[in-house]
Amino acid sequence: MDLHLDPEDLAFRDAVRRFLDENLLPATRRATALTTGFINDPEVAVVFHRALHRKGWSVPHWPEKYGGTGWTQVQRYLFEAECARAGAPIYNGAGSNMIGPVLMRFGTDEQKKKYLPRIVSGEDCWAQGYSEPGSGSDLASLRTRAVRDGEHYVINGQKIWTTHAHKSNRLFALVRTSTEGKKQEGITFLMMDTGLPGITVRPIIGNGGDHEFNEVFFDDVRAPVAGRVSEENMGWEVAKYLLEFERGGNPVAGRVRAQFARLATLIGKKCPGDADIVARLGELGTDLDAMEMIELTAVSALQTGGNPGPVSSLLKLRWSQLRQQLAELAMDAVGVEALRWIAARPLYDTLQLPADEEQMLSVMPRYLNYRAYTILGGTSEIQTGILARSLLGL
Amino acid sequence: MDLQYTTEQKLLRESAGKFLAASYDYTSFQKISGGEPGWSAAIWSEFARFGWLGLPFAEEQGGIGGGPVEVAILMEAFGKSLVLEPYLSSVILGGGLVEALGSQQQRESLLPPLIEGKLLLAFAYQDTSSPVKAQRNGSNYVVSGTKNTVLGAPGAHQILVSAALGDGATAVFVLPRSTPGLTIRPYPMVHGARAADIDFGAVVVPEAALLGGNQNAADAIDRVIDSAIAALCADAVGAMTAMVARTVEYTKTRVQFGQPVAKFQALQHRMVEMKVREEEARASCLFATLSLAGPAAQRARAVSGAKAKIGRCARAVHQAAIQLHGAIGTTDELSLGAYAKRLLAYEMLFGTTRDHLRRYAAIISDPGIAAAGLLYDQARS
Repeated sequence: MDLHLDPEDLAFRDAVRRFLDENLLPATRRATALTTGFINDPEVAVVFHRALHRKGWSVPHWPEKYGGTGWTQVQRYLFEAECARAGAPIYNGAGSNMIGPVLMRFGTDEQKKKYLPRIVSGEDCWAQGYSEPGSGSDLASLRTRAVRDGEHYVINGQKIWTTHAHKSNRLFALVRTSTEGKKQEGITFLMMDTGLPGITVRPIIGNGGDHEFNEVFFDDVRAPVAGRVSEENMGWEVAKYLLEFERGGNPVAGRVRAQFARLATLIGKKCPGDADIVARLGELGTDLDAMEMIELTAVSALQTGGNPGPVSSLLKLRWSQLRQQLAELAMDAVGVEALRWIAARPLYDTLQLPADEEQMLSVMPRYLNYRAYTILGGTSEIQTGILARSLLGL
Repeated sequence: MDLQYTTEQKLLRESAGKFLAASYDYTSFQKISGGEPGWSAAIWSEFARFGWLGLPFAEEQGGIGGGPVEVAILMEAFGKSLVLEPYLSSVILGGGLVEALGSQQQRESLLPPLIEGKLLLAFAYQDTSSPVKAQRNGSNYVVSGTKNTVLGAPGAHQILVSAALGDGATAVFVLPRSTPGLTIRPYPMVHGARAADIDFGAVVVPEAALLGGNQNAADAIDRVIDSAIAALCADAVGAMTAMVARTVEYTKTRVQFGQPVAKFQALQHRMVEMKVREEEARASCLFATLSLAGPAAQRARAVSGAKAKIGRCARAVHQAAIQLHGAIGTTDELSLGAYAKRLLAYEMLFGTTRDHLRRYAAIISDPGIAAAGLLYDQARS
């Protein structure tokens, strides 16, 4: 056992670093550093995504025949860590981490041909229509109705927490096509264009000031049946498969590490002599080391063809909490200055200040927005319930 | 990067677990810890027979040539079974120092009997308000001062002691326990292990007693203590694992309100939290274990980080385990209390959680180190 990078991995890491030096523009880095929400604005991220696409690296985790890289698990890990360290944005996870893998598993050849290349190139931006006002953690209770009418489904109902619906041209949604039997058995998985008549997007502004979430209303929306993935009423199986990717998926320690490093820099400038703050930074550092080690152990298991076990829920539980605690410590380190509020978003278009002052203004919005990390993608309580079954057999 | 256990390592885990499950249950622990000398000669000779006493030493010294991972596997099994035998003090600390510093002659005279189970060592390194100093006097040294918390000293045949030389360097001397002027004041500790404070009253020792001659031993001492901390981390992971498993088992059988209390969500979530702490502790321990051979900066970060992180996890786990057992968890009827005490000893020995957190925080506050992940480039470091 060892933690060494072998010469090929080092050469790979250096190649990634060179690529980032040459292709990650200063304006993009700044925009990423001043992004206070969870994900980057597509208009910022797509610039970097196009550079990745030219290099053939835009969907590294996909199979090669769909545009993936064929990298080893360790290389994927290094790539994510280097991108995070350099301050690279992430483009549109709903495409490459959700609908993409779902189409590879359940899509028809025609659907794959139509949608996958446009995810690889970044032309399509996807939104995820899962949650409803009455169906959050209990997702299968969803009520948005879809009634078959010839070659269309007629949809009526409402989705909520639809991230970046206002910036996406495509949407996938879970809709109810039957009320018979168990609630899981009447669900269908549908893809559609967000521009269809009858779709209305209403913004939800987070208390951190960012517009990421939306409500999406469906009034007699006619969506082509050709957008259905798998069979009618078989959508729950598709939905669960997608959640595996949403909760598991990409290596995450590198992103948390980058947040930790920014915090260490901030504390070094603002309050290097504050023993309480420094001790809390230390505690969070040991938490992060442990989490990274858990993730590396899973990577190593995958690399050798083994099964990493029920680790994705454990990682989600810990990284979401850790990101919150890091944002919280940043706020505590800044103190009263954290109260200064700029309402306009995005901050990178609004501010024209020295970099340190700009960073200071992002601390409070980030703290507030990050409260959602332990809620979205399966709450901590849901993850804990999953772990009670999978880790403890309860 | 490879984090998979080899077949041999899995076999070691299995055989250690099997032997200890059969010969070291809670009743035997109580018997051993309640009597003198506080460990079992019969068990110790079994350890020798399995080759465990020679596990970390090179084959040319009569050892097995195992590394930190093998030691951690064994220590985790010891923690799981509450083993009190002086493995950490005699083999890891004592033997480790002899191997790191000793001359060929010293290694040949000390290591084979240690490996055969005939010689016990202890290392006195923890200074007091009267730190141990050595002054040259002709061809001899005069050693004076007091060390405390010397693990395994009550049963040790030879005492290794670190001493400050006049020039700022540190030396290690090997002294028979019967050396005139050396006073061993033994006591039991809360978790059943034995330790002693040792007074060195102007002890006259020959130059030949210097371990490895006239070199500065400070770096070697740091390295050996770090390896002992990593080993103790594995012991704590074993103890935590046992506590979590016992708690889950107990709540599945304890019936209240007509159902096993494990059915209650409040208890389930608390137990998941315990299990997550155990997994985090295991991961931290592995990081420390694998960093022992790495560059000094990585080693210090990993070892102090693990000591602090596991300290916090251990505190949370032992408290939750007692709480979820209810009243019976506060008694000596079950082994739970013995595990709790073992974890408390873990927290305090070799620097407390707070001490190591400070050491770690000072290292990690450097933004360059803060940004560095755990994988490293061996060639450039």
